[in-house]
Amino acid sequence: MSLVLDGLVKRFGSVTALDGISFEVPKGQVFGFLGANGAGKTTAMRIVLDILRPDAGRATWEGTPTTDVARETWGYLPEERGLYPRLAVLDQLVFFASLYGIPRDEAAKRATDWLARLRIPDYATRRAEELSKGNQQKVQLIAAIIHEPAVLLMDEPFVGLDPVNVALLKEAFEEMRQRGSTLIFSTHQMEMVEELCEAVALIDRGRLVLAGPIREVKRSTGRRVVRLALEGRSLDAPDSIPWLGSIPGVRIARTGQDYAELDVPNDVDPEIVLRTALAKGERVTNFLIADPSIEEIFIDRVGRPVSSEEERHLAGPAAAPAAPTAPPAPTAPTAPTA
Amino acid sequence: MTAQPAKSGFAARTLSNIIAVARREVLARIRTRAYRFTTVILVLAGTGLALAPTIIQLIDRGSAGDRIEIVGGETLPDFDPAAAFQQLLNSGAGTPTLPLPGQDVPARYTVVAAPDVAAARQDVIDDKATAALVLARGANGDLTFELYSNDGAVSRTNQLLRQAAISLTIQDRLSRAGVPPIDQATLFTPPSFELLPADPADSGRPDPSEDPGAFLTGFGLSIAIFMAIILYGTWIAYGVAEEKSSRVMEIVLAAATPFQLLAGKVIGIGALALLQYVIVALPMILVLAFQSQISQLILGTPPTPADPGAPSLTPAISIGMVLVFGVMLVLGFAVYASLYAGAASLVSRQEDINQIVAPLTFISVGGYLVSTYAGTGLIPLDSPVVVVLSYVPLFSPYLMLTRLATGTAEPIEAVVAIVLLALTVPIALWVAARLYRSGVLMYGQSPSPRTLWRALRAE
Repeated sequence: MSLVLDGLVKRFGSVTALDGISFEVPKGQVFGFLGANGAGKTTAMRIVLDILRPDAGRATWEGTPTTDVARETWGYLPEERGLYPRLAVLDQLVFFASLYGIPRDEAAKRATDWLARLRIPDYATRRAEELSKGNQQKVQLIAAIIHEPAVLLMDEPFVGLDPVNVALLKEAFEEMRQRGSTLIFSTHQMEMVEELCEAVALIDRGRLVLAGPIREVKRSTGRRVVRLALEGRSLDAPDSIPWLGSIPGVRIARTGQDYAELDVPNDVDPEIVLRTALAKGERVTNFLIADPSIEEIFIDRVGRPVSSEEERHLAGPAAAPAAPTAPPAPTAPTAPTA
Repeated sequence: MTAQPAKSGFAARTLSNIIAVARREVLARIRTRAYRFTTVILVLAGTGLALAPTIIQLIDRGSAGDRIEIVGGETLPDFDPAAAFQQLLNSGAGTPTLPLPGQDVPARYTVVAAPDVAAARQDVIDDKATAALVLARGANGDLTFELYSNDGAVSRTNQLLRQAAISLTIQDRLSRAGVPPIDQATLFTPPSFELLPADPADSGRPDPSEDPGAFLTGFGLSIAIFMAIILYGTWIAYGVAEEKSSRVMEIVLAAATPFQLLAGKVIGIGALALLQYVIVALPMILVLAFQSQISQLILGTPPTPADPGAPSLTPAISIGMVLVFGVMLVLGFAVYASLYAGAASLVSRQEDINQIVAPLTFISVGGYLVSTYAGTGLIPLDSPVVVVLSYVPLFSPYLMLTRLATGTAEPIEAVVAIVLLALTVPIALWVAARLYRSGVLMYGQSPSPRTLWRALRAE
């Protein structure tokens, strides 16, 4: 009983946006859909919502093709936020709810309730164009969840929100999850994934890199990470821990101002690092054993960090002209986004 | 708490979604100042246009343009030439004899006697009078006329004065020959003159001059449809572009199909357009229908036709004609509006709309022009081009109405054109929905035939 993407292929002219993507989202989970801009996330979401049709493959929800699933099953917060600029907030929420079959009075009641919960009750009669971007984003979230969907798909929901609103959004997430909704959100903010998601799928240039529960994904890397801080020592260079060479397979993966993160293969006991440090007379101020971060896994698998891919995308050449696209950066040519 | 899929996909709520979208369109637009302002302006403009004959007369009445000065009235001792000219001019000089006593002739021209030529000419120069007419008798006893005017020979007043002068001269000659006035009226009674087709089975080629009222009807109704399609079709196009540029489209498309969104938009804006149309048309129709009474109320006289041979301003329109017009208007609007919406979905900026809808506008203008040329006789109404195009859906709203109004199309032909047009509506909606589905997610691409083709083929 889940959302299944099975061999999805989508091409826009000469650009392949999705190249045989397959993964499964268990019902009731919070699921992270990861990848840089242009990786294929938005295209996959649009196919699930039947806004786009795949060239091959199919998407199913509880065994039924998503094209045949009742629309009220889905809630959708697209990456490109949009509201009717001159329509009052309450009127547009009632309109969106009416498209899902919610009676107008019930829709108005729910909208008022959500506006209060997201701390913008006074904006019900204001026109959308009078609201700040953050508050417009809250209204768009309400539009996506007002009909209490079974599956909520959100494309980069945290982009553009200040910390207070991020916290509010997380509260709304939690409430939806407790009610039994399946939450799927795309992001390239890896810390959000670490904090919120139970499972992830990572795609790159239209191809699935990995998918599964976060714990399994992390363990599948075959290594762990040790964070080490030593008193009176600066660890900002790869060769700043000379005794590390005596432990086979362990290497410095990353350094901070006063700490280093070490890659430790699965067949090496991480505690040997601690024992060796103490044996060498070091005073250890921080020693932490952890799984690799999703960011590290991304870099491992894709060969570059998410941000560099995003920068490449924004500065890159135009893609196929006929591709349905998200809007480009103000001066950048259009390219299919995902 | 989560919604359970009770029905399948988008189709489950087609009607309710169309209604919801249409409702939003109506509510969003009817509250705007622009809609209300436009409606008031159109009502004022439309009513003003319908009242034009009365208003023109009202303006003319207050001006010196109606004043004609006669010098040399003593040349006709038997009657008052000023009064005679006034009657002849105000009868439109359509009849060559003076009206009989008691006959009511609306006064448009005021003709007065002037003491001398110099004073009368000065009045014309000073715009106190339109013309000064000097009467005299020639050596052979016939009347002679000198007309002083600021206008040329082709001015209507001067033409009327010339006709009136000829009439007066003939009557003067008859009087001098001893024919009493009552016999003169009999002398000028028009003979029976009947025009018949050479082939009894053929009613003859339609000629606008035969029944100008019918031609005016077809012409007027074509204009009405043309205005509705261009004006409100543009509304739809701009509505789509606004929805696209505000990025709200994707949220709506997650809940409703492009078809539902498109149909709702066409119906909503169509209803709003029809409402505005009725609000504008009703006072116009009432003013046209009661032109005489309104004129009587304002001027104290019924309006004078601009030309005695001009058609009536309120040509008879049958119920059937009104029905065909209504059906053609709604179906024609639905076809054009759908295509306007589909085309507009391909552009990202409102500035590009005119470019993308240009082919549709050309077709619409083409149909309207052919209809106009046929209605005014520049193209024969029974020419194959007019007949064939009157069945072609994008042209039939214009041409079939014109043909029907002039009696060159049988009712069954109108029914066939309507059926073809009705069948085109779902096709237009389908094409538009295909364009819409691809177009609304397309940004930053300049519209071109290639874009159009790709959008049509895209899944």
